[in-house]
Amino acid sequence: MASVTSTETAARAADDAALPPPTRPALLVWRRFRRHPAALIGAGVLIFLALLAVLAPVIAGWRGQDHEAVDLFNRFQPASAAHPLGTDDLGRDLLLRLIYGGRISLFVGLVTACLTASLGTTIGLVSGWYGGRVDAFLMRLCDGWIALPLLPVLIVLAAVDPTKVGLPAAIAKSPDLSLYRIVLIISLVAWTTSARLVRGVTLSLKTRDFVQAAVAQGASTARILFVHILPNALSPILVAATLASGNIILLESTLSFLGLGIQPPVASWGNILTNAQEIIWSQPMQAIYPGVLIFATVISLNFVGDGLQDAFDPRTEGR
Amino acid sequence: MTRFLSIRFLQAAIVVLVMSFVVYGLIGLMPGDPIDIMLSGDPNMTSADAARLRAVYGLDRPLFERYLGWLGGAVGGDFGYSRQHHQPVLTIVLPRLLNTLYLMIFAFLISVAVAIPAGVYAARHPRSLVDQAINLFCFAGISLPVFFLALLLIILFAVVLRVLPAGGMTTVGESSFGDRVRHLVLPVATLTIANIAQVTRYVRSGMIEVLREDYIRTARAKGADENRVVWRHALRNAMIPTVTIMALECGTLLSGALITETMFSYLGMGKLIFDSILANDFNVALIGLLFACSVTLLLNLVADVLYAALDPRISYR
Amino acid sequence: MRFLATGLLAASLALAGTAQAQQKPGELTVAMTQFPSTLNPHIDSMLAKTIVLHMTQRPLTTYDEKWQAICLLCTELPTIENGKAVPVDLPEGKKGVKVTYTIHPKATWGDGTPVTTKDVLFTYEVGKNPDTGVANMEQFREIVGIEVKDDKTFTVTKDKLKFTYNLMNDFRLLPAHIESANFNPAQAAEYKKRTAFDTATTNPGLFFGPYKIAEIVTSSHVAFEPNPTWFGEPAKFKRIVFKVIENTAAMEANLLSGSVDYIMGELGITIDQGIAFQKRNPDKYNYDFKPGLVYEHIDLNLDNPLLKDKRVRQALLLAINRDQIVQQLFEGKQPVAHTNINPLDWIYDKDVKTYRTDQKKAAELLDAAGFNVMKEGYRHNAAGDRLRFELMTTAGNRSRELVQQVLQSQWKSVGVEIVIKNEPARVFFGETTKERKYTGMALFAWISSPENVPLTILSSKHIPTKENNWAGQNYTGYKNPEMDTLLEAIEVELDKGKRLALWTKFQAIYAEDLPVLPLFFRAEPFIVPKWLKGIVPTGHQYGTTMWSQNWAAN
Repeated sequence: MASVTSTETAARAADDAALPPPTRPALLVWRRFRRHPAALIGAGVLIFLALLAVLAPVIAGWRGQDHEAVDLFNRFQPASAAHPLGTDDLGRDLLLRLIYGGRISLFVGLVTACLTASLGTTIGLVSGWYGGRVDAFLMRLCDGWIALPLLPVLIVLAAVDPTKVGLPAAIAKSPDLSLYRIVLIISLVAWTTSARLVRGVTLSLKTRDFVQAAVAQGASTARILFVHILPNALSPILVAATLASGNIILLESTLSFLGLGIQPPVASWGNILTNAQEIIWSQPMQAIYPGVLIFATVISLNFVGDGLQDAFDPRTEGR
Repeated sequence: MTRFLSIRFLQAAIVVLVMSFVVYGLIGLMPGDPIDIMLSGDPNMTSADAARLRAVYGLDRPLFERYLGWLGGAVGGDFGYSRQHHQPVLTIVLPRLLNTLYLMIFAFLISVAVAIPAGVYAARHPRSLVDQAINLFCFAGISLPVFFLALLLIILFAVVLRVLPAGGMTTVGESSFGDRVRHLVLPVATLTIANIAQVTRYVRSGMIEVLREDYIRTARAKGADENRVVWRHALRNAMIPTVTIMALECGTLLSGALITETMFSYLGMGKLIFDSILANDFNVALIGLLFACSVTLLLNLVADVLYAALDPRISYR
Repeated sequence: MRFLATGLLAASLALAGTAQAQQKPGELTVAMTQFPSTLNPHIDSMLAKTIVLHMTQRPLTTYDEKWQAICLLCTELPTIENGKAVPVDLPEGKKGVKVTYTIHPKATWGDGTPVTTKDVLFTYEVGKNPDTGVANMEQFREIVGIEVKDDKTFTVTKDKLKFTYNLMNDFRLLPAHIESANFNPAQAAEYKKRTAFDTATTNPGLFFGPYKIAEIVTSSHVAFEPNPTWFGEPAKFKRIVFKVIENTAAMEANLLSGSVDYIMGELGITIDQGIAFQKRNPDKYNYDFKPGLVYEHIDLNLDNPLLKDKRVRQALLLAINRDQIVQQLFEGKQPVAHTNINPLDWIYDKDVKTYRTDQKKAAELLDAAGFNVMKEGYRHNAAGDRLRFELMTTAGNRSRELVQQVLQSQWKSVGVEIVIKNEPARVFFGETTKERKYTGMALFAWISSPENVPLTILSSKHIPTKENNWAGQNYTGYKNPEMDTLLEAIEVELDKGKRLALWTKFQAIYAEDLPVLPLFFRAEPFIVPKWLKGIVPTGHQYGTTMWSQNWAAN
């Protein structure tokens, strides 16, 4: 996308000049994507939230507040200049907590979606390319995996002593452990969708001429998979990963609801929202803010995914 | 095709068998058991009591031995006893399954009844205001955590408007059909809102694709009635991938309504499986999970068959 | 869309305040968070079961709301003074006691069969069989034998003369005329599958209390109707329903929407939900925040070299401000604990050593303990070890998580680093505390009865180890010979005056040694509609339903 934004003016000029055939595919994609107002707005929202998340420490420093410093005498303060959204149940600045929560929620969404996509892509490529028994085994694994109950896996993993499985003490003792655990678990569980997707693409590309030609020229399997097939599968993977990251953010909040999510004092939108549901009658805004943020993020991701799908699909051209 | 099907059935059976072992193992691996929880809540219970109770419930035997015992019984049709409810497993599971079926069927029918017209309309008028509004509502439905959505619905309809019950299966002491339906409205609505998007979008994209096909253009060129073209010829073809995705959705609905069931105190399978896992109620958890797992596998198989029928480029050996 | 959602919710909440509590004449619907797994009085142990059973049954004796021992099913509490309890010498030089009880003459099972000593003998037979699956077997194990005098009078011989010799609080009778058919001593393990309490729960012959069970739907609700054979004050409601709602936010919605009349404190909403609810609906309900015998505390792992030092433990308690926590988070409704003895208990010593917040003194103690090097805002000793502990509790318990974060922040201000690590309850209780796997601090609660002797919690003989198969509840690993002898002496001291002196000494040692950090006693919010009378919270494990015959609509 970075290269796309730099050529934005060029693209607009090209657009104005009665659509001459674009020279770069990225440009074409961007031009189609740009026709989606909802996707554009969604992308804007996401960039804004991501910026806030990245700049969280800077914002905290600028405002001179600590998102984990408890102040029992300032619980549930109404909105003020010092606390634009008021304070939470332990007197911490709610805005700052939400910004830090966004850091975690977006991190979980992004990293997990990437891990999921890589794992799923690898399995899908192997399954689709080799076919036969390998395919049958991997796909049945996939079937079984979907049906695997998440809950006992989570509880078992919660009880595993991280130092015993060889994790460095710095991570094992870190308060972020629950965060890494969530990322790991969701990745392990969610790879099946992209695996099926990539397998399907591989199956249909396998018989195409350019792949057959590469085989005939004696290209190595790795080269065929990663140079010839993968690039053609990238756009559906990207779309799937975008949509998946939205679901992952929702899943994180659901896990918090079940008491298996990210543990305080680390804030995530999911655990802020879950904690607020008990006090929703007296302090509704404590639930509404994280609820709106989750909603805005997930819906933006969905719109962006939708826009990307259309942008990647050449058949949408000319409508 | 017969050969393909029989191989797949065999594979599915093996997956179920392996699953039963994996699930049993996973539950067994979980640290602690309900007797420890009992111990922590009752100052009069001693550790000797705990050890004795474990022996009474067979929790002290090696896991594999217990699994084999269970498997032997299950193959013979004896699914055992629920440790948590002190009743035979099927007595516990069957009513829950029925409740879940109600929930699933209603949610499914409403999703389809709304999604198909909406998806078709959106496909016939792509980029129109209505298309975008449908899109927005679809995405809105899947962008809220389910527990929050459920809570909002409870607050609005049960507390403020007071038109619907906040939860439960029936009003205690009343057993009319209408009362039952009233209790179903909010959980069904929650499930529908969270699941309708997928179906609508598949109908829409399937429809757009089909409407571009040559035979539709031919039919139109020959002057066939537009409604007939859309609803008879196009929809039938557009529905095939949609049915696939709906088949898969159904599988997840069976065990995946946990949050909805919790929020509305609805006695379904999702909650039952969740609770039995937490309570080390092996027999109930296994039967519940294996049932959900089998349904998912079966629907997966249906999906694959439909795929093969749809796309001649994919061949099954 | 999001503004729509926001607006909807805001409008909803504003309107919600106008809801009125409603009442169907003669009926009462009560909300609770848990459903009992069985209704058999002796199989499994679970608060929900005790609560339901007390609607329909009575144990022989109990503690009342003033925490005094009283008779429920018996006619008079046996004592040594009134001659109904007689100390005896048992073989092997042990001192035992013979206690004679008389069952209430009018006590009758719901099907008309009188409650007799046959039921007592049958219950004893079932209870002492190790295969039955009885949760609390100690009460049967301590019985040497039961002699029957007539249909209503019997004498129990116990193997030890403890000050609680006349109590049989958990001795709940099984109806021999129904259950003897289901119990085969040779196949005692089958009993839990056959018991009529689970297979024919609505059989009136199972109950003799003010109410009997009219309808039961697993995991959903239990409905009660008056039992005509009840011998006490007659029941006032035509129908009482206990409805199970696990999610406490949904439970509040049910109360506001009128589908539930009353939320019981024992298994209801959390204290901060209760406080917030009271603020929003001050006039519509009566509120009772009864502080009870649920002792929230932090177990310290005394094998941790840093925690072995008494000065560190004392400094930790001095550094935190429990009064402030209780005032700000719980509006002062949960009393600060100084030891594990509740201020409402008669043995409480009001002059016990207390630790009022004094961060200066805490810092001095920590300096003296060698942690006088400040680096990165935390204390280190000369060897470079940081003063750092893991603080664990049950994940998903909002109140505890709040307290945890406040403590973390207060300890930080004296240079103690706290890493919060929470686990699901079954991991926490099933492994972490039981096998003493926590490295520093474990925050949880003990539930007890009045004047409970914490032998299994504080005696050095009850430290769980791999060798003893993790038996015992002394999770801190506390070893003090003085405490060991004291606990055993308290248990057998019959003289109240002398026992009080021992308890005072006990509290002094506890407060000085601080094997655990006392936090506070939990309060339970009872939200009672104005029209409902007769609900008297007790604050101990024998709760309100034991007096359900007094519940009445105004």
